[in-house]
Amino acid sequence: METSESGLTRREFLGLTGGLIVFFAIPSELARAAGESGGGDAPSFNAFLRIAPDSMVTVFTGKVEMGQGNKTALAQMVAEELTVPFSSVEMVMGDTDLVPWDGGTWGSTSVRFMGVELRAAAAEARDVLVEMAAEQWGAAPSALTVSEGRISLASDTRTSVALGELTEGKEIRRALKGEPKLRPVVEYRVVGTSVSRVDGRAIVTGEEQFVADVRIPGMLHGAVLHPPSFGARLKSVDTSRAERASGVIKVVRDEGFVAVVAERPELAREARQLIRADWEEKPHPAMESLWDDLRSTAELADTVTEEGTVGSVLEAAERQFSATYRTAFVAHAPVEPHVALASWQDGKVTVYSNTQTPFLQKDDVAEALGLESGQVRIVVPRVGGGFGGKTNPELAIAAARLARAVGGPVMVDQTREEELTWNYFKPAALIDIRCGVNGDREISAWDCDVHNCGDRGAEPPYGFANRRVRSFGCDSPLRQGAWRGLAGSAITFAIEVHMDEVASEMGEDPVEFRLKHLDNDPRLARTVRAVAEAYGWTPRRAPTGKGVGFACGIDVGSRVAEIVELDVDAKTGLVRISRVVVAQESGLVINPDGITNQIEGGIIMGLGPALREMVHYEKGRILTDRYSKYPIPTIRDAPKIETVLVPNPTLSPQGAGEPSIFPISAAVANAIFDATGKRLREMPFLPDRVLAATAV
Amino acid sequence: MAETKETISFQVNGVERELEVSGSRNLLSVLRHELGLTGAKYGCGVGECGSCTVLLDGRAVRSCVVPVSTVAGRSVTTIEGLGSGDRLHPVQEAFLETQAFQCGYCTPGLIMSVVDLLQRKPDPTEPEIRDALAGNLCRCAPYPRIIRAAQLAAATMSSSGERHGDQ
Ligand code: FES
Ligand code: FES
Repeated sequence: METSESGLTRREFLGLTGGLIVFFAIPSELARAAGESGGGDAPSFNAFLRIAPDSMVTVFTGKVEMGQGNKTALAQMVAEELTVPFSSVEMVMGDTDLVPWDGGTWGSTSVRFMGVELRAAAAEARDVLVEMAAEQWGAAPSALTVSEGRISLASDTRTSVALGELTEGKEIRRALKGEPKLRPVVEYRVVGTSVSRVDGRAIVTGEEQFVADVRIPGMLHGAVLHPPSFGARLKSVDTSRAERASGVIKVVRDEGFVAVVAERPELAREARQLIRADWEEKPHPAMESLWDDLRSTAELADTVTEEGTVGSVLEAAERQFSATYRTAFVAHAPVEPHVALASWQDGKVTVYSNTQTPFLQKDDVAEALGLESGQVRIVVPRVGGGFGGKTNPELAIAAARLARAVGGPVMVDQTREEELTWNYFKPAALIDIRCGVNGDREISAWDCDVHNCGDRGAEPPYGFANRRVRSFGCDSPLRQGAWRGLAGSAITFAIEVHMDEVASEMGEDPVEFRLKHLDNDPRLARTVRAVAEAYGWTPRRAPTGKGVGFACGIDVGSRVAEIVELDVDAKTGLVRISRVVVAQESGLVINPDGITNQIEGGIIMGLGPALREMVHYEKGRILTDRYSKYPIPTIRDAPKIETVLVPNPTLSPQGAGEPSIFPISAAVANAIFDATGKRLREMPFLPDRVLAATAV
Repeated sequence: MAETKETISFQVNGVERELEVSGSRNLLSVLRHELGLTGAKYGCGVGECGSCTVLLDGRAVRSCVVPVSTVAGRSVTTIEGLGSGDRLHPVQEAFLETQAFQCGYCTPGLIMSVVDLLQRKPDPTEPEIRDALAGNLCRCAPYPRIIRAAQLAAATMSSSGERHGDQ
C-alpha cells in the first residue's frame, strides 16, 4: 500500500524545492490512517506548510472547502503566526497528489485540529527562521523581533530580513515535534478579524469551478442505471435500443453495473430510459411500521455513559418523568448534486470529485477497479455543500470505470432525483428518556436510550450524578450515514424538550432550570446566560402563550444556546419562526463573520427537519425525489437571527460548523409548547401534527 | 437515430451567437455545454431550485426549463455578462460585501434573480425580496445575508442612479 510518504515524494518532483518546509501531524487522524491501512504503513504527517524564498507561504492539506470557510480561516491562522499579510498565504487543498493523507472534512475538524497544528507549524517555522537570523547576525534569538513578515534586531531595526529571504538557496525540512510558542492573543492582527472569503470574488462572478464546471476536451457523460427499488438484483437486461439512441457512444455492462455513455448528460439519461431491465426485487418494510421495526430489531451497541446508580435513584425519586422522541429520515439535499469526472492517462486515473473524503475515495476507487492506490488521483475543487452527505464513492467509481471503458474522459453527473434517492440519509432516531426529580427539585437520575442514530451528543450536557445513556443499533429500512452533526441534532431535540417538559411540570423557569444543572459546565452556563441576556429573558412558567422557546447544547467543543420566537396558526397548524437569538462559545474565534455565517446557516438548515423535511418511502423506493416533494427551507422561512459570540480567546478554537443545528429543533418545539401548551415529540412538526396536538 | 438540429441565433452577454442545436434542448445545457458558460448551475433541471437563473430579455428565467428554440432572436445575460471588465455589478459587490454565500453554488442564480428584482422594483420591501427569491434555494442558507445583500444593492444602485441623474 502506498502511504502519503510516497505522496510526498511525488510532490517533491512538483518543483517544491527550496524554502522552509514544516511537516506536522494530527495524532487522531494518523491513528485513523494507521487503522485503515492495517497499521503497517501509516503516514508520519498529514499536512505541511512551506515558506518560499519570496516569502510566499503555501499550505498543503487534504481538507476541502465546501462553503464552511476553512480555506480562509486556516490561512488566517498561518498568516497570524508568521506575521505575514493574509494575502501571501496560499492554500492547496483536497488533491491527493499534492497533499498528504487526510481522513476527510467532517466533524468540524478543520480549524479545531488541522488549524491548531497548522498554527503550531507556522510558529515553528518562524522560530527556525529567527534562529537562523540570530546565527547570521551573531545575536541571541531573544534579541530579535518578528513583525510584518520580517525579522529584525530589537536594538536596531535597520538590521532586518524578510522571513523567506533566509531560505534563499537552501532547503530546510522540519517535522513539528514540541509545542512552539504562539503569538499572544492580544497582538493578533489577522486572527479574530472578519477577513472576507478568499474565494468570494470568483463566486460572485461565476468563475469559481465546481466539478460539474470542469471541462476536458472530448469529455463524455455517463448515466448509471438504477434498480426500481433498493437492493434489487438485475436478472437480465436489453440495451439495444439505448445503444442506438441519439448521441450514445457506448452502453457499458459489467455484471450488475449498467451505464450509458453519451455526448451530453441529457442524452445519456434519455438513452438510459430505453434500457429494458428485469429485476428481482426484495420485500421492504412499510414506512408506517418504522418505529415498531426499529424497536423490534434494536440491539445494544454501546453504553455511552454509566455513572452512579440510575435504577434505584429513579425508583426513589419524588417525581418521575418519561417520554419518547422521534425524528424522521432526512436528506442532505445540497444544491450541487454528486458529480465525478474521470480521465485516464498512462494507466493512471484522475477523478475530479465533489467529495468530503478524497483519500478514502482514492482507496475506494483503487479497490473497485483493481488498481494500486498510486494509480488513482482524486482532485476536489470547491464542493457545493457537503453536510456529511458527500462521502459516497459510487460516482467516482462509476466515472473511472466508464472512462476506462470508452477510452476517454467521462463525467457522471447526477440528477436531482438521483441525488435525493440514491445517497444515504440521516438516520431516523427513536429516543427514550426517563428521569427522576428529587426533593430539591433537581434531576437526580437520567436514563436515556437512543436507537438507530449513533450516539453523538447523547451524553447530556448537565451534571446529573446518576445517569446512564445507551445506544442501540437497529435494522434501518434506508441507507443511512453522516449528516451535519450526526445524531446530535436528534438527541439534543430529545434532551432539550425533555428538560423543558420537566421544568414546566415542576413550575420552574426553563432557563433557570437548565442553569441549576450546569455547575459542571461553566462555559455552557455562561453561554446560556449570554443568550438570555441578549434576548431579554424574564423568568416565566411555560406555557405563556407567547411562543418563545429555549434550548442549548454542546458539540465539537463549542457551547451553544438558542431562543426562538414563533407564531402558530391555529387554523392551518403552520408554524412561522420570526426570531432566533443565539449565543455560541467556540473558544478563540478565527473569523467572527465567518463563524456567524456558519451559525446562521446551521440554524436555518435545522429549521428544515424541524418543520417540514422528511424522507418518504414506499416499497424500497424514495418518494421525495424532487425539491417540491422534499421542501428545504427557502428565504421565506428565514427568521431574523441575532448572534452573540461569547468570547473565550484563551481557549483554542473549537468546532463551529455544526453546533448551532443541535438545539434549534428543541427550541422550536419548546416555543410551540409555549404558544399552545402542547408538546410535539416527533420531528418534523408538520401542520397536521401541530393541529392534532393542539386539537382539544 | 440522430438529433434534428436547427440553426438558432441569439445574443449572449451582448455577443451574437449562432448555433446548430436541437431546438428542444434547454438553454442551461446549451450555455454550459456549447458555449462554455458554466456560471449558471444545474440544481434540479425542473425549475425548482433557481441555480440556473439567467436573464432573458432582462427578465429572470430558469434556464433549465427554457427550450433553446424559444430564445431565438432574443438576448440572454448570464452571470459572466454582469459587470464590466474588472468592475463588478453592484449586486455582485453587495453579495461580496455582506458575504451572502457559503459554498457559492446557488450564488450566480441568486445574483441574477436579485438583478431582475431590482430592475423591476428599485426599492423593494423585505417581503418583496423574500417573494422574489423564494424560488432560489440555498442549502447552506445564509438567507438573512442574502436579504441584506439585496437591500444593499438597492441602496447603492439608487444612489449611483441619482448621481448619474445629476450629471
Ligand atoms: S436547475 Fe433550473 S431551477 Fe433548478
Ligand atoms: S451557498 Fe451553498 S447552496 Fe447556497
